[in-house]
Amino acid sequence: MRYTSPRSADEALGLLAEHGAGAKVLAGGTDLLVALRHRTVEPAVVVDIKRVDDFDEPVRVTDDAIVVGPTATMGRLAELEEVRRRHVALVEAALTVGSVAIRNRASLVGNSCNASPGADTAPVLLALGATVTIAGPAGERTVGLDDFFLGPRRTACGPDELVTALHLPRPRPGSGSAFQRITRRRGVDLGTVSIAAVLGPDDDVALGMGAVGPRPLVARTRLGDHESTAAAVEHLVAAATPIDDVRAGSDYRRAMLRVLARRALDTAARRRDEEAA
Amino acid sequence: MTTFAATGPSPDHEDPAVTVSTTVNGEHRTMSVPAHRTLLEALRDQLALTGSKTCCAEGECGACTVILDGHPVTSCLVLAVEAEGREVTTVEGLAPQPGELSDLQEEFLAAGAVQCGFCIPGQVVAAECLLRANPTPSTAEIREGMSGNLCRCASYERIVCAVHATAERRAGA
Amino acid sequence: MTEAPPRPAPAAPVRDHGAHREADPHDDGVAGTGRAVGSGVLRYGGAERATGAQQYVADLPFPDAAQVAFVTLPVARARITAIDTSAALALPGVVAVLTADDLPQPVPRFGISHQDRPVIADGEVVFHGEPAAVVLAETVDQARAASRAVVVHHEPLPGVYTLEAALAPDAPLVHHPSVRPASGPAADSNVLDDAHYAWGDLEAESARADVVVENTYSFPMVTHFPIEPGGTVVVPTADGGVEVYSPVQHPYLLQRVLAKVLDLPLTKVRVLAPDPGGGFGGKQNPRYEPLMAFLALRTGRTCRLVHSLEDTFAMMRRAACRIHARTGFASDGTVLTHELRADYLIGAYADVAPRVMSKGSYVGAGPYRIPAVRIDARAVLSNTTPSTAFRGFGCPQVAWATESQMDAAARALGLSGLEIRRRNLIGRGEAFVRGECPAPSDGDWLESLEKAAALIDHDAPRPPGRGVGIAVAIKPGATSGLSQSLVRLLYDGSALAYAGTSDMGQGARTLWQQILADELGVGLDAVSVVSGDTDRVPFDLQTSASRSTVFMGNAVLAACRDIRAQVLELFAEATETPVELLGEGPGVLLTPEGELPLPEAARIALGSLRGEFVGRGTSRMRGRSAHPLGGDAAFYEFNCTAIEVEVDTDTGELLLLKHVSVSDVGTELNPLQVVSQDEGASIMGLGHSQMEQLLVGEDGVIRNLGALDYRIPTFKDVPVELVTAAVANADGPGPYGSKGISEGALLCTAGALGAAVTDAAGVVLRDLPITPERVWRALHDQTD
Repeated sequence: MRYTSPRSADEALGLLAEHGAGAKVLAGGTDLLVALRHRTVEPAVVVDIKRVDDFDEPVRVTDDAIVVGPTATMGRLAELEEVRRRHVALVEAALTVGSVAIRNRASLVGNSCNASPGADTAPVLLALGATVTIAGPAGERTVGLDDFFLGPRRTACGPDELVTALHLPRPRPGSGSAFQRITRRRGVDLGTVSIAAVLGPDDDVALGMGAVGPRPLVARTRLGDHESTAAAVEHLVAAATPIDDVRAGSDYRRAMLRVLARRALDTAARRRDEEAA
Repeated sequence: MTTFAATGPSPDHEDPAVTVSTTVNGEHRTMSVPAHRTLLEALRDQLALTGSKTCCAEGECGACTVILDGHPVTSCLVLAVEAEGREVTTVEGLAPQPGELSDLQEEFLAAGAVQCGFCIPGQVVAAECLLRANPTPSTAEIREGMSGNLCRCASYERIVCAVHATAERRAGA
Repeated sequence: MTEAPPRPAPAAPVRDHGAHREADPHDDGVAGTGRAVGSGVLRYGGAERATGAQQYVADLPFPDAAQVAFVTLPVARARITAIDTSAALALPGVVAVLTADDLPQPVPRFGISHQDRPVIADGEVVFHGEPAAVVLAETVDQARAASRAVVVHHEPLPGVYTLEAALAPDAPLVHHPSVRPASGPAADSNVLDDAHYAWGDLEAESARADVVVENTYSFPMVTHFPIEPGGTVVVPTADGGVEVYSPVQHPYLLQRVLAKVLDLPLTKVRVLAPDPGGGFGGKQNPRYEPLMAFLALRTGRTCRLVHSLEDTFAMMRRAACRIHARTGFASDGTVLTHELRADYLIGAYADVAPRVMSKGSYVGAGPYRIPAVRIDARAVLSNTTPSTAFRGFGCPQVAWATESQMDAAARALGLSGLEIRRRNLIGRGEAFVRGECPAPSDGDWLESLEKAAALIDHDAPRPPGRGVGIAVAIKPGATSGLSQSLVRLLYDGSALAYAGTSDMGQGARTLWQQILADELGVGLDAVSVVSGDTDRVPFDLQTSASRSTVFMGNAVLAACRDIRAQVLELFAEATETPVELLGEGPGVLLTPEGELPLPEAARIALGSLRGEFVGRGTSRMRGRSAHPLGGDAAFYEFNCTAIEVEVDTDTGELLLLKHVSVSDVGTELNPLQVVSQDEGASIMGLGHSQMEQLLVGEDGVIRNLGALDYRIPTFKDVPVELVTAAVANADGPGPYGSKGISEGALLCTAGALGAAVTDAAGVVLRDLPITPERVWRALHDQTD
């Protein structure tokens, strides 16, 4: 394994183009180093992008969006005032990822590129309608996160491509969001089920769901189109296909989806009302 | 019969060694490591700084916690080559002088937090970072902030006492 | 190994140790004033641990060592047909590859209760993770690369991984015929050993019972998860012997086993035991040290093996258990009968598992006054990680069932969990095990029960969704033992204790330091303790069963008193004072002119030739062959735990609001260390009660191998309020009335938690761990 530390995005892309699937991008390393230890990946080249100096700044706040660069860590993101103001649920989710020490390394974009079905930040990013910018030999393209996640550990980012930014559109005025999850213990843990709800001003709902399918899922509806909130929740969670694994049984996951979805919706509604008040 | 190989000692691994210059506990240090070597392994094997411990080796236990450019990280999930030009502080660098204890280390002992002791270097480093970021943490904040550091002797309450005592001591200083 | 290096001055000898501890009856003492014992003296060796200077086995430098890696198979049980080492041997840096063919034939076997464990897999691997071959190379990377290049041709064989499978009539037998006992249940089944205890007239007492509760309980397979995974280094010596560095709890046992397997005299096997970074029973018995020794002797190289955490999952675990219980009560809550069938699922080799089964089930009826009891227990082999000692030995398993039975009856009779225990708990001196070898209570256990009840405010009204549970349990201490100690009082008033107890976190050395300080009248800082080296330190049987305070404590105390007697005698001679005019006491020599500090008296006695005093102490307790446990327990650890919990009935999640643990400690020699042990055991008990379990797949492979999916308690899993307290009536057999205390607080954690959950949510759980999913499932089944 060779280590490279390109200084520019072009140099990084050049390395990826040269080595293809033999190259692995290193941002925070919290997923990659575990994979290296277990030899589930054996790259010829590691491309450390933390010294690339022509990326956009790690986190850029504009009126319309928050643009998160590929090296911004969970810890940094959760500290930023504007992120905390606009995206409570994202902060809640980011603060469940590993420990303080892990969050000082783990990058939000890297975590998304790892495409774990249970990634705790994926549901909220999906529900917020995040998009990613993918740079490659043919230039840049923008992909909605829902189209980005293809399956377990598979994304729309090709081996010669690099996700250079993640865009979080500014929530419409009168929105509220919340994150909920179930774990096996109270301290640092992987989510058995994780849920994010984003409730818009017109009672439009986006529900992101983690660890209940081969990839993180999102479903959308309008509360008014259903007889009750419970019916809306049923509609939203219908797409989930949870499985049995060492962390939980599928029936428990399915039941928790409903409980957490309801709780997340209630909290999001409360936050929306509080903001309005 | 035991089967002996014909080959003698040979270089470490097929990965080429890379020279890494870094600052460790305030001193400039140079290491020669293959790319796959973690910072934890390099600190322990190359620099003989064995205070950082190996347990899970995948970021789940915190026994290898060090400070990298001011932030606590699990050194098992950092490649040594990533430390090029960076500043690393290990548990060995916390006391004011060799052979002395920091106030936090003293409070760990006073609170009865040190049992088998294997996780303690990581706990001390994590607690030091916690106190630097939040000089007057509540019990809930200590439990939250330290929850990446496992202790099988379960000295958790003792460590919480030690962190509180240090915070009080620093506030009074 | 562990001689005292220079230690930084502690901040203060004694400190307030936190708000959550009940006040202890002892005044804080000051070093050198004869009151070190009973005060919260700071941990011996603590400063090195806090600064990272303490060297555990993986930290010891062996610049010339070659590194070892195991070759394992991806299956639990397989016949090895051939091993092709050629590709591995061709790799850079590889020194040797060793297989069973390279060892004396038949491959030597060793073990504690049975000589069943081969030095390396001999024709067959019998559990997942058992090495089929071992590689030695110059570096760890090279050893691992070569271990992947060794080709082990094998045929998977059917294995048994559960009690059901192991006990099936046509079950494959785990033990090879050559190591299977010729008679007894193991001759033709997987039942390696069994134990039976019975007293009273079951039929007659059953006829009087108004309420009978009958249930089956299960206790999971859990692993020790020491934060130090450990390792072994073997250095071949010029005289054909070995020096073995291994963080073991029983260095002298390892020495004995190695000497036998290698056919060497004890003098050529030197065991140097660095302090274990957590033992909990998992580091008691030899596993791969014999293999490492053969490798070192065959190659002439220093061989170093450092385990991963995952390796330890294949090295140590607690026996799982299924317990069927039938218990009869009179309408006033008096327990009349208790029938228990406990099947312990042990692993592929015996280790000490038969003892875990027999000693654990011995107290299966709990600390109660029960007229008729029948206990039948079995140790059942399986193709899984060999189970071994684990804090609490086999007691938490049966206590889970027996305590849950008490609560089931209490509910049926409209009594509280506290009240039914009040009515049945045994008084001091009364036998809770009856029959030919009765076991009487050696403590005031009701006092602990009432103390815990008061601390949890047991009878207070609680809002819906909250509940309280209280439970008790006992564990027999050691039933035989031998600890030998040497103490040297040097001319300058400093002193050395040689005591073979392993200090794995319990703080044994601190106690020896305290005892020397008081008994010899020397300052704490003037005391050094030497342990962990079979060449330098006299014999100690083992560090287990919370025995050291009592056994080694008494040996150290005796050595100190031996010195006092010698000082008196020599002082009389040197000063020409009639012996009958002299006397001695803790830290002093009594002379006609008044009290003389002992070190000063020693200096006068030694005179210009200087020199030193060497004291010897031995603490020996012979077993009793007629006793079912091989002897009466030296003491019993008694604990009462009470838990208040809030249940989220939608998710099944538990919030532990308060956890109270009261232990009967005899005397708190070091209150700070007692607190640390009690809190630690309490939380470890919550581990197996709430979250820990090894999940073994249908192929016998552990599915949650490693820290990511085997969950132990973290800071955030500590109950909102954790309170520990002691009952200290100075009624133990150890120094100053002390008892062992290291296991009590986890014996009945599960029972208290289970009862609290039932009280809070109305559902009864009989399988551990009580996970959110299981609570939810119980609630869900109830509403269906």
